Amino acid sequence: MSQEYSENLSDRYKDWTLFKRIVWYLKPYGLLVIVAIVLLFAVSMLNLAGPYFTKIVIDDYIKVSNLEGLDLVALTYLGVLAVAFVCQFLQTYLMQYIGQNVMYDMRTQVFAHLHKMSFRFFDKNPIGKMVTRVVNDVEVLNEMLTSGLILIFNDLFTLGGIFFVMLYLDWRLTLAVCIVFPFLYLATQAYRTRARDALRKNRAHITGLNTFLEENLSGMATVQLFHKEKDHYRKFENINKDKIREDLRSLHYNSVYLPSIDLFSALGVGLVIWYGGGRFVQEEIQLGVLIAFLQYLQKFFEPIRDLAEKFNIIQTAMASSERVFELLDTPEEIPNAKDTAPAAQIQGKVEFDKVWFAYNDDDYVLKNISFSVNEGESLAIVGATGSGKTTIVNALCRFYDIQKGEVRIDGVSIQQMDKFALRRQIAMVQQDVFLFSGNILENIRLGDRDLASEEVESIAQAVNSHHFINNLPYKFSQDVREGGNSLSLGQKQLLSFARALAVKPRILILDEATSSVDTETEQHIQQAIRQLIQGRTSIIIAHRLSTLKHVDKILVMKKGEVVEYGSQQELLKKKGVYYHLYNLQLESPSTSGQKAT
Amino acid sequence: MFLQKLQAFLPYMLKYKREMTIGMIALVMTDMTTLVIPWLIKEFVDLLPQDPSRSVLLKYAGLLFLTSVVLAVGRYGWRKYLFGPSRKVEFDILNRLFAHLLTLDKSYFQQQKIGDLMSRATNDLRAVRDFVGLALLILVDSTVVIIACVSLMVWINPGLALSVMLPLPLVSILFFKFIKEISKRHQVVQEHLATMTSHVQENLAGIRVLHAFAQEENEKKKFAGLSREYIQKNLRVTKLFGIFTPSLMFTLGVAAMLSLWLGGKAVIGNEMTLGSFVAFNGYLMLLSWPMMGLGYVVNLTQKGLAAMGRIQEIFTSKPVIYEGEGEAADVEIEGSVEFKKFSFAYPGAEAQALSQVDLAIPKGQTLAVVGRIGSGKSTLAQMLPRFFDAGQGGLYIDGKSVREFPLAALRQNIGYVDQEPFLFSVSIRDNIALGKADASDAEIDQAVETAGLSGDLSRFPQGLETIVGERGVSLSGGQKQRIALARALIKQPRILVLDDAFSSLDAETEEFIIKSIKKTVAGITTVIVTHRLSLAREADQIIVMDQGKIVERGTHLNLMQKGEVYSGMFKNQALARQMEITLQ
Repeated sequence: MSQEYSENLSDRYKDWTLFKRIVWYLKPYGLLVIVAIVLLFAVSMLNLAGPYFTKIVIDDYIKVSNLEGLDLVALTYLGVLAVAFVCQFLQTYLMQYIGQNVMYDMRTQVFAHLHKMSFRFFDKNPIGKMVTRVVNDVEVLNEMLTSGLILIFNDLFTLGGIFFVMLYLDWRLTLAVCIVFPFLYLATQAYRTRARDALRKNRAHITGLNTFLEENLSGMATVQLFHKEKDHYRKFENINKDKIREDLRSLHYNSVYLPSIDLFSALGVGLVIWYGGGRFVQEEIQLGVLIAFLQYLQKFFEPIRDLAEKFNIIQTAMASSERVFELLDTPEEIPNAKDTAPAAQIQGKVEFDKVWFAYNDDDYVLKNISFSVNEGESLAIVGATGSGKTTIVNALCRFYDIQKGEVRIDGVSIQQMDKFALRRQIAMVQQDVFLFSGNILENIRLGDRDLASEEVESIAQAVNSHHFINNLPYKFSQDVREGGNSLSLGQKQLLSFARALAVKPRILILDEATSSVDTETEQHIQQAIRQLIQGRTSIIIAHRLSTLKHVDKILVMKKGEVVEYGSQQELLKKKGVYYHLYNLQLESPSTSGQKAT
Repeated sequence: MFLQKLQAFLPYMLKYKREMTIGMIALVMTDMTTLVIPWLIKEFVDLLPQDPSRSVLLKYAGLLFLTSVVLAVGRYGWRKYLFGPSRKVEFDILNRLFAHLLTLDKSYFQQQKIGDLMSRATNDLRAVRDFVGLALLILVDSTVVIIACVSLMVWINPGLALSVMLPLPLVSILFFKFIKEISKRHQVVQEHLATMTSHVQENLAGIRVLHAFAQEENEKKKFAGLSREYIQKNLRVTKLFGIFTPSLMFTLGVAAMLSLWLGGKAVIGNEMTLGSFVAFNGYLMLLSWPMMGLGYVVNLTQKGLAAMGRIQEIFTSKPVIYEGEGEAADVEIEGSVEFKKFSFAYPGAEAQALSQVDLAIPKGQTLAVVGRIGSGKSTLAQMLPRFFDAGQGGLYIDGKSVREFPLAALRQNIGYVDQEPFLFSVSIRDNIALGKADASDAEIDQAVETAGLSGDLSRFPQGLETIVGERGVSLSGGQKQRIALARALIKQPRILVLDDAFSSLDAETEEFIIKSIKKTVAGITTVIVTHRLSLAREADQIIVMDQGKIVERGTHLNLMQKGEVYSGMFKNQALARQMEITLQ
């Protein structure tokens, strides 16, 4: 099972490249970033003032018993603290402000990028995964920017600051202390490679554990039905064991590495006592300097320890950024045409000219399709499941780009039109009606949010949906999601008709629903369809024989090919598939829905 | 109340009492050793004016290093033996949690959101872990260090100690207040994040509609608005942070300043030695973290207890279905089914999903259940494997109440396939073998054959070894349904329940499959819930359901002659079917 969920452990992007890309998002806030860094620098330096004041107090005042001067030093110290307070407040706020804005930029960018993706992309990617990219991964990145970046700068400044102060206080002593560094470096390297590996594996196991848990919670009924409780418990326990093993491994590295820093620190302090103490005895160095030096040295190792503790955050952020950038690097499959003519109102003549289309490679689902629908005409497409009916309308809306041939509207290839302008003039009624959270009104004016409510009401009336809407407790303000699926299938369909009509489309595409509804609703639906296709180019994927009677032209599809195409009369004369269907219709035991025609 | 809540942790922690004791000892050792270092430096500073020899200095350096070795060992000890058990406690609780969830039944999962359960198993569990490890550590560490440092400082100079420590309690209070306010504001941020998540989720679920209506720009605007709001809520948290951290540093700084100022005066006034002054400053520095720590402990404890409460909620939920006594292996099921005045309402629902159903299916016969969506067909089917416990009336198999069977025996003998079967993200073979772990290749092939899957499998390059993607995304609906059928058939059930199980297949394939089941599994009792009446036609008995009641029953011929609900439905469908055939 492990290969399914295990995070890809090999890096697709190098850490450094990722880091540079993240930092690039700071560019728009360049000035603010510089101010924040300057403030950060000031804070780091001011925080180092304490030991220096100690040195001054000891060497300049205590030794000469200068009481008044001491008051002044205390006051100065207080002043430094106050300035540090202000700087730190500004710096924290500023950095968060920048981080939040970067997160905003990145999140809206990822969201916008998702909206650029084609249906093909959504066919392949589960929703949960994409939601994680937009929400969680970007969140983690922000943490990395605000905490991680500050941390790095703060620690670097502190390290650098202390080093220079120590050099200034006594360069010989500083150099002596430097003996410790190579050891520290080696220890850090040894820790870094091991901890990195343990953390990565641990994270992969956590993902695996959560995936397994979520899958089992969703499929609990199946697990129980097949009495697999024991089996699945064992599997779960094993993944959990893998996880805790890596958990304890990284804990072990931390437990060894972090205390080892104490040893290096002690080594440094020991050197200062021995070497520095000796120099004091020889009167080459002042007592205050020595004490300040000791205090600085102890502070010197804090940032190093800090960096190790935060290593996990940075690692996680790198993994998240990798995933986010991978999504952002997915190219747009259906690029919008450049230099499009200004979107004029289209008339509505639709032509398919020798169109070929395949979802995968050479597996064509549309083979050499040609037909045309004149302005205001209606066309019904019939065919068995999988014959390519839906693909035709998807190609017309440019949800997929065709491989060969041309689709034209008013004589212009749709690839040369602005795809959004194109879609705005087409209304599509899909088989499964998707309603968005919100009320009925909002769902009807999905395509045109400025529509006045009176207009919406008249539209609803035109497609026969006002009956049921007016029977709802809150009428047009009724929330569609409240109380589960409060609307019936038929009602949802009527609602989607209203939604289509509300955009006043030039071209209407209707994918007729197959599911049966009660006879009264069926009547409403049939009436509404006639209303909808009135006066506009319409393409209907028909599942009901009765629908065929209202249209001007019929296209019969079979396995991606057109087998019959023409007007009712033409096809009847041909005595082919349509003729057959027509006879069925005549023989049919008339149900009330069809009787109404 | 507090103690009661703590009790929930005890059994988990007691398991690691040895490790935790070692950890605690190591921690106290670390704290004590930490206190030695400023003292050594004090001695060193006081020694300096007496012109010590190199060897004496070396002795001090050596002592200091040795102390640090002890310190490092101590630090290693508590990290390993306090954090270690907390991870193991997390491991144990998670295992137990999953084991318990496996015992809960469908009505429980219908009432819970998976996201919520997941959050308890992850976020809440982390809070519990932090309580067991971090909170305990900080509590002991802070207490020991504070008591020791304060005592030492008082011992060095009581007056100075008192004035310097005046601002320090402020740190704890500040920290506590801040954490409280910040969790409040954080809550708001989290809620907004949830809103954003569901917005994105809905957007992606309905993306085909949105693109069809060219709503990209509007949606981007809406989302940008939500994101903007999110920033503002986050910045409200930041403002607090921005004030808090600096004030903390400021308070600690003031204490250091006081120590320098008043301490300096004391040294000048010969009230203390320079070495004591340095040590005093050293101890003050050691106090800063424990002061913050105390506030943090309170917060960690609050979170940990609340989280444990939520986890306990799962543990206290009990399965409502109690099973019969006996060993599953000893039970033989023949396969006759009878519902007697059977009524059922979903937990929390007012209306009855099934009311007063009387129905008998003799062994080996086929029952077809038809009716509109929401008429109670599926509910009826789900009663057989006992996904829910029946409300009133009885359900009998072989004349015995289903409550008297061990669940394992019942479910072993009932194959249940629904419209949207759940497949696991393993290979197709493993999904089928779910029904029988030790199934031979021949058995699997047989099941595949009967379920009409052979053709599909031959088109997959990896055949049976093809991995089913997340939630079965890489397969078509019909393929998933047939894998689920194979999985049910392989356990050789006596009763087969097909709950609209072939809705994604065309009528011919469906008919072929039903026939092949009947042929290969002789004498199997079959319940078919379907929308396709051509299937019902072949059944020994047909019932038509509406609003939880049986409104018509009989054979196809009877019902057609009767000329009411069923015959109307049938004629309509026959037409659609002929249309389909013509187009094929």
